[in-house]
Amino acid sequence: MKQIALYGKGGIGKSTTSANLSAALSLMDLDILQIGCDPKRDSTRMLMHGSFIPTVMDLVRTRGDAAISLSDIVFTGFNGVRCVEAGGPEPGVGCAGRGIIATFQLLEKFGDLKGDVIVYDVLGDVVCGGFAMPMREGYAQEIYLVTSGELMSLYAANNICKAIKRLASRAKSKCRLAGVICNAKGEPREEELVREFAERVNSSLVEYIPRDRVVQLAELNKKTVIEYDPASAQAARYRSLAARVMENTRMTIPTPLEIDDLEHLAYRYI
Amino acid sequence: MTSNTSPTDISRFRGCTLTGALSVTTHVRDAVSVIHGPRGCSHHNLSLLHATGLENDRVSIPELISTGLSETDIIFGGEETLRRTLESAAGRDVRAVYVLSTCIIDTIGDDVCGVCAGDYGIPVIPVPTAGFLGGSFQDGVNNALTAIAGTAPLSRKEAGINIIGERNLEYEVEENYREIHRILTNLGLAINIRFLHTSSLDQISLLGAGRLNILREPGLVPVGEYLRQRFGTPYIASFPLGLSGTLTFIKTVSRACGVDGKRVAEEEQSLQEEILNEFSDIRGTPVVFDQTPDDPESIHAAEEAAGMLRLKFGNIANLQAIPAAPSVGTHGIRRMLHRWRRAIHA
Repeated sequence: MKQIALYGKGGIGKSTTSANLSAALSLMDLDILQIGCDPKRDSTRMLMHGSFIPTVMDLVRTRGDAAISLSDIVFTGFNGVRCVEAGGPEPGVGCAGRGIIATFQLLEKFGDLKGDVIVYDVLGDVVCGGFAMPMREGYAQEIYLVTSGELMSLYAANNICKAIKRLASRAKSKCRLAGVICNAKGEPREEELVREFAERVNSSLVEYIPRDRVVQLAELNKKTVIEYDPASAQAARYRSLAARVMENTRMTIPTPLEIDDLEHLAYRYI
Repeated sequence: MTSNTSPTDISRFRGCTLTGALSVTTHVRDAVSVIHGPRGCSHHNLSLLHATGLENDRVSIPELISTGLSETDIIFGGEETLRRTLESAAGRDVRAVYVLSTCIIDTIGDDVCGVCAGDYGIPVIPVPTAGFLGGSFQDGVNNALTAIAGTAPLSRKEAGINIIGERNLEYEVEENYREIHRILTNLGLAINIRFLHTSSLDQISLLGAGRLNILREPGLVPVGEYLRQRFGTPYIASFPLGLSGTLTFIKTVSRACGVDGKRVAEEEQSLQEEILNEFSDIRGTPVVFDQTPDDPESIHAAEEAAGMLRLKFGNIANLQAIPAAPSVGTHGIRRMLHRWRRAIHA
């Protein structure tokens, strides 16, 4: 079983990438579980044809965890991909990070934290120990950073490298950096920049996903690109990403950059 | 973000902020304390308060209610649970509720003051007590005294003196109070209220009428300042320690209350001489302090008494170890000298 997590700056396209990756993996005859780890709860929406599935935390809040069954929280989407949304408290109260932990524990209790691949789609940044949870305790062992060539996006990716490096130093940790996915904004020389960033942090660029209008068209039709336009070049990119994820054996402990070095790197690609 | 670090000394008087606040709020007889946090915070404190109460011959179980927070409350916020607990607490036979926060509550950011501002039919008073913010036991005491003092009305000054911030958990709390009572009685001064030690809300409402506040210890100066601003009451920063310290205390109180304390000071000095004569059997004994206390006033008071008995300090092996732990006033020194005698003759 492969357990992978996608981390990156908010709005960079983690959920789009995750959903298309899960869809592409499912077409390789693999059993896929995608867990949205963001109170925004929109990670699995395109796999579920536009519907927001009930979140685990909403059910815990309204019913209490004792009254929840597996069928209440796991929903089957495109091509059999199993979908879970952790959800969280109302913005501004409570502890969303603890909600992520409680969701994993509930899935483990049901024995359903399983499959050929589990894809954790985690919110913007590692804001606290709770959101680092997928990287801890042996859940996600392969971390993919999703970034564009924009400095702030690289900055967030570099920060996550720091978290991985820290967690990898723990005795029983299996958490490693598996690669960088460039979800491009369409800037000039963007692929070269992200490739160099990936190498500088002791990893590699696993896929370059260009900006393409088909992504917006698919979303407006409430589908992943894989389902909406399987013949498109973009769908081929996602299938290529899926194949590389399955072949990938290069797991590294990252070497995050100093902020000056990161800015200097970005400056060279203006 | 707080720049305080948590205290490294975890003795009773430096420990948890919550415990400090509870050492005050559980001494209000007709009120109940609600601890907003997991059950363990209440269990631990109940055990500690009960055990230390027994040491002082108090067998009452403190009035504590826990909101009993679960993981679900932590994830979604504990405000609703607090509201329900307060409604239930207000339905008891009490006249006020004190609400004490815990570390986890200030981590997840519950609006405790907002929930306490609701209408429960009786006063519901929040006391900030999250220990991880760097506060000590003393900060908990001060926060509780300040919060409760804020509920006492402004009133016309009367003749009595307020005793502020007794260490309710200390062994000899009553003996120390009686020593202050003795000295004030000698000066012809009456005590208005003890703020607070097994107090009722009616007694607490008289807080503003005191003409002078005598603080138990200098750590209570922030409370003394608050009371000075709220009620216009001057304060003396500490109970007296040591022989000369007690004579100075008599002078300070006399001056503050406009009474002639000369005769009382002279009589006190005679009493001190009598007491030293009682202990002439240990005069000149070679000794060493068993451990150095952490406050300079205690060291000074112990060294002063040892000097008057001409005890000889040295680093030679086999010296008798005596405790440098004076209690309040002249009789506090007497009790310490009894301990010295027992150690020397052991």
